[in-house]
Amino acid sequence: MSDDTIGVEEFRVQARAWLAANLEPWPDPDHIPRGGEDPGPEKVAASRVLQRKLFDAGYAGITYPTQYGGAGLTPAHERVFAEEARPYQLPDFGGAGQVMFTAIGRSLLDHGSPELLARHIPPLLRGDELWCQFYSEPEAGSDLAGIRTTARRDGDTWVINGSKIWSTGAHHADWAMCLARTDWDVPKHRGLTWFVVPTDAPGVTVRPITQIDGTAGFCEAFLDDVVVPATAIIGELNQGWTVTQTMLVYERGAGQSRSQSVEPRVLAPDLVELARRSGRLDDPVARQLVARAHVNDNALYHLGRRLGAVIRSSPTPQPALAAYGKLAIGTLQPIRARIALELGGAGALMWEPDERDDAAGTATSYLNARQASIAAGTNEVQRNGISERVLGLSREPTFDANKPFSEVVRDARHWDHKVG
Amino acid sequence: MDEDLNDEQQLLLDATARFTEEAYPIARLRACAHDDPGVAAAYRRQAAELGWFGLVVPEAQGGGSASGNGVVDAALVAYRRGRRLQPGPFVGTNVVAAAVAAAGGDEHRNNVLPALVAGEVSASWAYGAAPALPARAGEITATATATASADGHRLSGRATFVEDPGPDGWLLVTATTAEGAAQFLLPVDAAGVEVVALESLDLSRRFVEVRLHHAVAPPASAVGQPGGIDEQLADQLALAAVLTTAETVGAMAFELEMTVQYAKDRIAFGRPIGSFQAIKHLLADTSLNLEMSKALTLAAAACVGEGDPHGRQLASMAKAFVGDCGIELAQGCFQVFGGIGYTWEHDQHLFLRRISTDAAFHGDPAWHRERLCQLAGI
Repeated sequence: MSDDTIGVEEFRVQARAWLAANLEPWPDPDHIPRGGEDPGPEKVAASRVLQRKLFDAGYAGITYPTQYGGAGLTPAHERVFAEEARPYQLPDFGGAGQVMFTAIGRSLLDHGSPELLARHIPPLLRGDELWCQFYSEPEAGSDLAGIRTTARRDGDTWVINGSKIWSTGAHHADWAMCLARTDWDVPKHRGLTWFVVPTDAPGVTVRPITQIDGTAGFCEAFLDDVVVPATAIIGELNQGWTVTQTMLVYERGAGQSRSQSVEPRVLAPDLVELARRSGRLDDPVARQLVARAHVNDNALYHLGRRLGAVIRSSPTPQPALAAYGKLAIGTLQPIRARIALELGGAGALMWEPDERDDAAGTATSYLNARQASIAAGTNEVQRNGISERVLGLSREPTFDANKPFSEVVRDARHWDHKVG
Repeated sequence: MDEDLNDEQQLLLDATARFTEEAYPIARLRACAHDDPGVAAAYRRQAAELGWFGLVVPEAQGGGSASGNGVVDAALVAYRRGRRLQPGPFVGTNVVAAAVAAAGGDEHRNNVLPALVAGEVSASWAYGAAPALPARAGEITATATATASADGHRLSGRATFVEDPGPDGWLLVTATTAEGAAQFLLPVDAAGVEVVALESLDLSRRFVEVRLHHAVAPPASAVGQPGGIDEQLADQLALAAVLTTAETVGAMAFELEMTVQYAKDRIAFGRPIGSFQAIKHLLADTSLNLEMSKALTLAAAACVGEGDPHGRQLASMAKAFVGDCGIELAQGCFQVFGGIGYTWEHDQHLFLRRISTDAAFHGDPAWHRERLCQLAGI
């Protein structure tokens, strides 16, 4: 960053003026829609246009390097922009948006070759290229290094076969970051490689998954003899686990910033409203619940600020610290959703068909709030990370880390309780 | 709990950490060494030399912070104190010093305040049932009432859960008068003031009950204008809550460190017990609660220290959150220690006792949650 970098407050003034002149504010500033997982094709198309607008004004990729189309500013600038932009209608790519601009973009910046970055980062920031991840598989979730999708070298190209799941926004995406096994004869972490795959390549099939709340933000994807060039490799051959670790840190951090980017100073307005509608604002039990949720919201926010400062000032990724933020959301969100359901009473559990949109919100949030305890690493995976990497406790004995992956699957079927 | 310290803060905290380890290790706590007034006086003076009692007092009045935000500095000291279960009315002395500096009479500002800052005497805050003060949790059993008389006010009533200010200490008494709430600074040996030593769950500090029998509070003893101190009381409570919470967080941090070490050392089923996920996950959750407690406490300290009225809400949030987390942490750690944690000789119970007492001191979690609703206007 050069000395003539714009100061944070000056940046705030500029951003405020630009936002007022260029973006539409939400009609009711007290009720800004949170946005669902899947905005739908029309909204995505409109969001691409908006994203282009942000990019042209220098507000896309605020912390991204300038040589790849970013603004090259600090996280403080980014926070200021988020604060100022809160009342406005921003591009909404659903769950894919956060993944794209944090986990994917950041991991590419950290590991991609300059050619790959020059090719993909500017269009990503501009909204011309929407990105998704192909990494979890039906048989590899928490045990991500146990993926079975295979990339086989064929002359100058690689041929990928396998199936992927929980890919956020893949049905809108133009490109995917895809994790594949490139060597089955080494232990599981050492034979993995990331590839850049166009989602319209022959052999790629993407299908939305209908979720617990009836909507579809995640997809499953099938790769049948998908051919990509050698330049599609991100980072080094067989070093994919390193990239994965970076990505998971950003992904967990992103969940954190998505949930609380602004200090929640006002006593949980949504819960106060629910209590008011149920006529329970004077009920001491209801008041305790509202306050409890609000205190948790603040604990989460201030934890995020504290961790964010530590992570940003650290020269190396801090996967264990990101795990704190992820575990906090994963445990507190379901509690908050339960409190909302409790405050809402019968009205949150059942409603007349014609009042559905508004009335069903609490129930839908109740269902969706548990996503955070599984997605991007379960609470249990975070607990392992914290206890091993921060507290320094030993790992459980492993059965698969030290033998060729080709033997792992075979041996697991005849597991005899013995280590090794 | 302290990243980004400046040099002066680092000096203060390093010296504080050394002092707490050398001057009052747990063996001395077990021997009740601080009950000896001579020991207490020497301890207090050494602590004062480190700056403990002037951090929330303006420089012009003989105090001075290390960072510009004295509440943050005091909270960081409190954290260090909590780690080693330090004795004495640190919270009370700081709260009273801040109150006297802000609104005390000339005589008290000129004579008592310097003595507090220099560690010559201690002070603590005694309040009975009063609006916006945490009495409804049950720890305060009566009201100190004041009636106007020719020579000022006469105070009667009872306040319990008061830190022991020592034999030559001072009491900041909050009372209800015809004009509204009022505060008076009285020496413990003033006529009509009876201080009754109590036994308590906490073995690391002493608490007293203050009984007032028509005690004379002359006009010069008033701290703030009788009937016009509501804002002052709100700030006072926020400061007391933040410092208490910071001490709790220190105790929590140290207890968790002891427990993690034990989980690495203790062997069962052929492995350190800390390699079992049942233990690892419990300790990870506990550690997360501790990190959130630190974050919320520091945020509250910063906000209170800046004089932002929102600090009152954050202080109540921290007090509520940490109160619950502390007790959960103590139970989680106990579970890892197993039977040894149920013995007198193991230090675990000393932390459990202090943490559980702090959870109720200056308002328990439920009281502060209700206060939060009231501060938010619902």
